[in-house]
Amino acid sequence: MFNVGVSQTGKVNVMTSDQGGLTNEQIADLAVDKIVSISDQAPPHVRQQANQFREHLKKVLYHYLLLARKEERGTIIQALRSSGQMETAEYIRRL
Amino acid sequence: MAIAQAMCTSFKQELLEGVHNFKLSGGDTFKLALYAEGGGGKSSTTATLGATTTAFTTTGEVASSGSYATGGGSLTRIDPTTSGTTAFTDFADLSFTTATITAMGALIYNSTDSNKAVCVLDFTSNKTSTSGTFTIQFPTADASNAIIRIA
Repeated sequence: MFNVGVSQTGKVNVMTSDQGGLTNEQIADLAVDKIVSISDQAPPHVRQQANQFREHLKKVLYHYLLLARKEERGTIIQALRSSGQMETAEYIRRL
Repeated sequence: MAIAQAMCTSFKQELLEGVHNFKLSGGDTFKLALYAEGGGGKSSTTATLGATTTAFTTTGEVASSGSYATGGGSLTRIDPTTSGTTAFTDFADLSFTTATITAMGALIYNSTDSNKAVCVLDFTSNKTSTSGTFTIQFPTADASNAIIRIA
């Protein structure tokens, strides 16, 4: 009899939010989970280093996510101001 | 358990029969539908999903809300590949926005081919979004973690 191996299904990660979209922190978590995966079988010192890298990466991503949202909001506000929708622009600015 | 994570047995047979095509170019359309337990589905239905599931079912599926419509969302395929002796495929993450959803699991199925079931995903606990975003992130596409693997 030949055993050609096993077929498996991976575990998904579900992230949800209430009354709006995902936060910067949640998006940073999603990104880090996609970039860094640490094996359960890795030696402790390797796991420790990987976890430190993971935390550092998360902080960097979080910073740039904040910046990206802020910059995009700025672009939207300017577009609204240019089309004379000052009130909406001010509302978005205050978000 | 009403929803049990599994690669559907019928899917394994259908792979050998050449039914499913996961290639990015010219592949089949795969969809992901969300399901509830404890009467949380449409019309107070409860999902029973596992290895014996053969096709998409509306029983226990969550109701339409926000960008989630009955039948679920289409998945973006990523070309199958190999690492070592393991072959695997992946999908892009899927998000439903401005949605009020409570789901315990999901079914990936082939909507190009009679809604044949691929695999059941068990979230292990209820996941809830309230007028918000419900995101399903697929695992890292490698030989140890990818969503669908054949070793």
